[in-house]
Order: sequence, then C-alpha cells, then structure tokens
Amino acid sequence: MSEPIIRVEHITKNFRGLKAVNDLSLTVEEGGITGMIGPNGAGKSTTFNMICGFYPPSSGHIFYRGKEITNCKPYEYTAMGIARTFQIMKPLGNLTVLDNIVPSAFFGRRHAASLAEAREIAKEILEFTGLYAKKDVLAKEMGTPDQKRLEMARALATKPEMLFLDEVMAGLNPTETDQAIELINKINESGVTIFLIEHIMRAVVSLCGKVIVLHHGEKIAEGTPQQVMNDPYVEEVYLGKKKENG
Amino acid sequence: MSLKTTYQKRCLAALLLFIALLIALPLLLKGSPYIVNVLIVIFYTTTMSLAWNLLGGMTGQNSLGHAAYMGLGAYIGALLITKGGWNPWLTIPVAMLIVGLIAGVVFYPCFLLKGPYFTLVSIAFGETIRQFMLNWDFAGKAMGIPLAYGKPSFLEFRFHSKTPYYYIALVMVVCVYLLMRKINKSKLGFALKTIREDEDVASAIGIKPMKYKVIALVISAMIAAMVGCFYANYNRYIDCDLMLQSFSTEFVLPAIVGGAAFVEGPLVGGVILLCLSEWLRNQFGGILPGINLILYAIVLLCVIRFKPVGLLGWYGKSKAKDWVDHKILGKKDKE
Repeated sequence: MSEPIIRVEHITKNFRGLKAVNDLSLTVEEGGITGMIGPNGAGKSTTFNMICGFYPPSSGHIFYRGKEITNCKPYEYTAMGIARTFQIMKPLGNLTVLDNIVPSAFFGRRHAASLAEAREIAKEILEFTGLYAKKDVLAKEMGTPDQKRLEMARALATKPEMLFLDEVMAGLNPTETDQAIELINKINESGVTIFLIEHIMRAVVSLCGKVIVLHHGEKIAEGTPQQVMNDPYVEEVYLGKKKENG
Repeated sequence: MSLKTTYQKRCLAALLLFIALLIALPLLLKGSPYIVNVLIVIFYTTTMSLAWNLLGGMTGQNSLGHAAYMGLGAYIGALLITKGGWNPWLTIPVAMLIVGLIAGVVFYPCFLLKGPYFTLVSIAFGETIRQFMLNWDFAGKAMGIPLAYGKPSFLEFRFHSKTPYYYIALVMVVCVYLLMRKINKSKLGFALKTIREDEDVASAIGIKPMKYKVIALVISAMIAAMVGCFYANYNRYIDCDLMLQSFSTEFVLPAIVGGAAFVEGPLVGGVILLCLSEWLRNQFGGILPGINLILYAIVLLCVIRFKPVGLLGWYGKSKAKDWVDHKILGKKDKE
C-alpha cells in the first residue's frame, strides 16, 4: 500500500486538565476527499489545528508524505503544499476581495514576482471560485456564503496539494450548500486532496469517500459514509440510546 | 502610462502645478523665514509620520515611541560630528544603520507582545532611551549637544538661510513618500497588510509574522534616524526633550487624522494639523496661554469621533471628490 498523504499517529492534546483529543490516529489518502464528523466539542477543529501546526500536540506524531511535520510552524506549511481555511472566517476585512488573494499569490507556491502577476493569479482564482464579480468589494462587506468562498479562494491561491476545510458550509442555505459541494468537487478534480470537517450530513455523504467520526476526542468509527451512518455506536452518539422496551 | 482622457491630463497638470508651487515657495516667500520654518517643520514631521505609518497603519503595530528612534539618530549624528569630527552627510547613513540595528535587535522580543501591550512597551522603550541620554556624560547630559556655527557650506550641512534646508527637507519627504508608495504595492506591503488584518491568516498562507514585523520596524526606525540627523543639523542643537512622549504622539496624529490606511494619509494629516496648530497659536496663544492647545484637542477629538477612517477615508467616498473629479478635473462617468 502506498504512503498516505497525511498520517497521524497517536496524537493527544491537553488544554490544562482538559483532554481535547486523546490518542488519535488517522490517515488521509492522496487524491480523495476525507471527511471528519462528530458532535460539538469532539475535538475536530483541535485536530485540524494540530495537523496544520497552530497547536503543537502534547504527544504523538504527524507525517506529510512520510516526512515528520509534528513541530513545524504554521507558516512553513504553505511551501510544503498544505493550505487551510478557518472555521471562524478571517477575511482581510479592509482589503478588497481581489487584494485578499494577492498575498497568497505572492507567498504561495505560485511565487508571483510582481503585483501585476499576483493580481492575474488572484483573478484566475476568483473566476474559479465564482467570486470574480465581487472582486472590488471590501471583504468585510460580504455575506457569510461569499466569505466562506473567500476562505477557500485564499487557500487555493497558494496552490496546495492538500487542503484542509474547516466547516466551510456552516451557515449556508441548501442552494448555497449545493454550490459549495460543486466547488469542492471541482477543487478535488483539479488534483487537490481534501480533508474536511462538516456537520451537514448531506454534504458529507455526497462528497466524502471516507469518513472519520470523533467523539470526546477519540475516533469511534471510520469507513464509507454508509458504513459509519449504520454503525450502532455512531447512531447512539448522534441520536441518543434506544429505549430497551420502549 | 498613456494619457488619453481629459481626466488623466488634468490630474497630471494638477500634480505638476503642485510640484512647481512647492519648488517656488521659498522664492515667493522671500523674506519670511517664519513661514519657511513652518514648512520645514511640516516636512520633517510628515516624514516621521510616514515612517510611523509603515509600522502603525500598514502593519497594525501601534508604536508610541518613535521619537526615540529620531532622537537616537540625532544623537548619533551629533556625537559623530562634534566628538568624532565626521562630515555631517556621512553621519546620516551611519546613524540609520546603527538605529536600524538597535531597533531590530533590542526591540525584536517586543513583538512577542500584541496589541496594547506592544504599544506600552514602545512607550517604555522611548522613555528608557531618553533617560539614558539624560544621564550620559559623553552626550552632554541635560545640556544637550550644540553643533558648531560657522561659514555656510553645503558639505558641512550648514546654511544661514533657511531655503537650502527647505529643499533638503522637501527631497526627504518626497523620497520617503515614494518609498512608501512602492512598499504599499510590493510583496512586503501585502505581507504587512495581511499581518495587520489577521496574523493567523498570514501564517496560514506562508507569511512569517515576526520576520515581517521586524522588517517594517527596522525600515521605520531607519527613516526616523534620518529625520533625526536632519533635525540636529537644522536646529544645530539637540537635547533629550527631543525624545519626549508628547513628541512621539505628534508623529502618530497626522497619520490617524489623514487616514492611516492610506499612504498619503500622513501627508494630508500633517499639512492640515501643523497649519492648524500654528494658526491657533498665532491667533489665540496671546489671548490666553494654552487656549490654542485646547482648541487643537477639540478639533482632534471631532475628527476621531466623526471620521475615524481619517480625512482621506472620508474624502474618497464623499460628494466633494465627485465634484472635484467632474467639475475641475473633467472626469466622465464611465471612467
């Protein structure tokens, strides 16, 4: 079997006394879309932040293409080809949508040499993500769906091979969700491996080849969406225990 | 740049007219060293404000200790001239280098602090340098350092008339402004703006926040040192009052009033604020001492309360701009 693009071995994260993630191991296979689900507070975002270098894990190891990256700093990830979005959107509010993408074009793996070139790359990315019409709007003046798109556009402009999407569909209505699903598929088809956290099951089912379920910082199930949804323990976590003689 | 429309032509004409006016001003004002002096003060204060704005407006690190860098530059320049017998022009790059180094090395750990904590440390830093100079025998303690008077000579950076200083200060402010414009549109500028908006985002797209903050600080401090050298040679006397906290504030205000988000903000703010403060002092200073400062504070409060984006932020979206664009510069709607 070939080496998975991301391999996480026994990572644990303690926040003072609280164990947010406990002895978690997982793999992400290259080329696919892997999903991570779980109730609020299960440790999904903490796991993302550990893999992306924002919180160093208390123990355990993280590998990217077989190379250990456990203690890499966040800004070292871009050059490796890893990009991420933030669950709480972080648009560069006082810049236009176009200028939000320009830094990624400069500092990402496209290495734009001039502002003109960076703007060209940014325009191309905005076309791809469907934000082109809004390129001159200030980022803080856009609504949630567009800001979520902007998060993805900014990450994409660094030309990643591996993309982490943290709840990019939360707060979207069904039509917007469909558009986001379409965009994520399009990104994946362009050759980017995706690892995403999502609450919307419809999206998870239609996108992901593999799903990992987290509960209280531990992995409780893993498999295709159908497999995990039929897992009795997952059902219990999400819907509560069936009454015995009910 | 091709000039096709009336609007572009008239913009260029206005710019050329403005430059011609700046160059001709000392000739027009022959015999009024007072006004030329005010203009020189405007130029170097604005240059300081431009330097502050690189760190404050563009990078979002509000420093309240910039007078210390200017003071350090002035002291290094003056000491090299008086004790070392150096040529004044030669001291400028040396002072810039030393101050840049001090800023980069000594101030580097302060960037571990964020927001208001950084600002507080910058105040402490400025005060430390001032106290140091106040107690250092070699630097003249509270007596300060006087620079020798003598025959006017360009080589000695020494003139009897204020006009040569005017042109030197003008060149200084224009060069620094052009540099800031260049930075604003460069890779460095975008890194700084990303850090200002959100450091986590900067990290996530491959920008090392610490590195770029230090770069911004060093450039900013070096410009301040240059202004300090000019100040020492122009006034021919320096003491540690140059590094007072209130002086640092004077460099922050033009940027904020003019619009810290704009490269031109400090220029616009500097001209308006310094003219205002000078006019108030003339008009009201004699009636009741201190009243000019009270009026000045009221004007400041109004700008900050009602136009927090600065005058340029307001002008960019105002009807006044439309009017100027259409009626005076002949802009068509489609452009």
